[in-house]
Amino acid sequence: MLLKTSSLFTMVFFLLMTSFQKADPGPDSTMILHFSLYVHGAPLVLNKKYKNPFGEIFEISRFRFYAGKIAPIYTDGGLKTNPSSAYHLIDFSDSASTHIELPVKGGSCNEIQFQLGIDSIDQSRGAQTGALDPVKGMFWTWNSGYQSFKIEGVSPVSDQPSHMLAYHIGGYRYPYSTVWKFKLSSDRIIRISKEDKILVEIPLELDYFFDGPNPLHIKEISACTTPGELARKLSENFISSFTGLTHTPSP
Amino acid sequence: MKKFGIISGIGFFWVMWITPFPFEVPKGFPPPVYQFQHNPRSKQGFELGRKLFYDGKLSRDGNFPCSSCHQQFAAFATYEHRLSHGFNNKLSFRNAPGLFNLAWEQEMHWDGGINHIEVQPLAPLLDPHEMAEDLNQIIGKLKNDRAYPALFNQTFGSPGINSQRILKALAQFTASLVSADTKYDRVKRGEAQFNQYEKTGFEIFQQKCARCHQEPLFTDLSYRNTGMEADSTLKDYGRMRITGRKEDSLKFRVPSLRNVFLTFPYGHDGRFTTISEVLEHYNTGIVQSPTLDSSLRKGITITENDRFYLISFLGTLTDSSFIKNPLYSDPQMGVRDLPPEDIH
Repeated sequence: MLLKTSSLFTMVFFLLMTSFQKADPGPDSTMILHFSLYVHGAPLVLNKKYKNPFGEIFEISRFRFYAGKIAPIYTDGGLKTNPSSAYHLIDFSDSASTHIELPVKGGSCNEIQFQLGIDSIDQSRGAQTGALDPVKGMFWTWNSGYQSFKIEGVSPVSDQPSHMLAYHIGGYRYPYSTVWKFKLSSDRIIRISKEDKILVEIPLELDYFFDGPNPLHIKEISACTTPGELARKLSENFISSFTGLTHTPSP
Repeated sequence: MKKFGIISGIGFFWVMWITPFPFEVPKGFPPPVYQFQHNPRSKQGFELGRKLFYDGKLSRDGNFPCSSCHQQFAAFATYEHRLSHGFNNKLSFRNAPGLFNLAWEQEMHWDGGINHIEVQPLAPLLDPHEMAEDLNQIIGKLKNDRAYPALFNQTFGSPGINSQRILKALAQFTASLVSADTKYDRVKRGEAQFNQYEKTGFEIFQQKCARCHQEPLFTDLSYRNTGMEADSTLKDYGRMRITGRKEDSLKFRVPSLRNVFLTFPYGHDGRFTTISEVLEHYNTGIVQSPTLDSSLRKGITITENDRFYLISFLGTLTDSSFIKNPLYSDPQMGVRDLPPEDIH
């Protein structure tokens, strides 16, 4: 009973406090980030046959990754707000998931920082929900942790059952972390003002995933489903497939 | 602002409704790792977790509740089984450990692959050799149940069943399984005395075993290679599976020796049937390998006499009030005094 009474007081206190608090000036505008997936410079169509830079035929049926800690970097002094703590599961078979709305402050920016995958603190928070709900199929149950990205498909040169491709890439522990914090730049200054929503495209080019810092020949590696050195290498390829920012000023 | 007001309003009524259920740290125990942060322990949450733990609905064919491999009369290990039975006549990959004092463990499983108590159940729930179920199926079954929707509502203060709520409720139960009322504990509290055999055994234990099996949890929670060759069929290299590091080959979690009389067979693959066999392994059976624990290079000399006294002492680590505590028992069946006849 004592606890209940004290909780009552706490609640009343909080209600009073919040009514006296000044309103936060809030964000000035909304930046809409749109992730898009390309192959040979053209939008990738799921379940369609392509050739990778090594001439190997493949098709992609599933392509997902986690993006988080997103924030624009302003030309006049870096970050203006703390990066959003939210994580987003980008899934190219669900077009709604490829758009992220980010509240931003006004100013000029030419870079955006973000993180691929879930960092070690957020990996060990126990049962989570939303984008991190294990029902999303991105959580490893026997070696707790969220995968950073998942690419599935088929290729005639794959030696897996049914010629499957399964790149389930994760791991957040040193030295084989697949979590990367990095910046993407735009060749133009992005001006954020109160009037407009800003649309920024973040393209991924699959050619660079195959022909990346660690050339990925499907014939040699058609699956990777555990954390380790290979997963780490393929994550290096993945971030090299982000080619920069494309900003289309609103009409 | 308005939203905050509404949320606090709901929170207020919920706080009035749930029954707080404070967690008591046993005397002499360190502070637990899991302190029910973001999962405030309540009578409702504990009871919901307990019901889920004993409910076959969480498994694909209904036959494998958590309690099928974690039996209270065996201190929540699987009684007399090297490996446990799972869905479709499959055997599990490792020996099921007893479940107690889990709130003190940051990592779980023989290889430490689990990084938080709340996500542990995902491993057996989804493993095709164990409960073999799918999360969405479980959520669907619970939503269609007569009792669960109301129980989740009462526990979490709003309607809805999702994976997070299932896992948090299970953690309320499993983190509450505290075993700290053995004869050893009573001796430590000054309420009982070891007999002469137990006393001598405790002294030998402190010299020869306590380096890894540290009091009061009787494990230092580290991973060590104790000179057990990998089984040729299981090919289990322990911690290396998690870290990918060669240095971790054949390392397994040091198990607690609390309730050790009840948790046989022993070892990560249950290869030792009796405590005597385990002691003999340390005496003469250590297999040399590069990652062997440095303290075991020459084995541990355990004489016939040592063995007798050690076993006398280990008997004082059995917590009979824990295995008969009605709070932890099957809410439908109550406490079982003895293993049921149809156990196999």
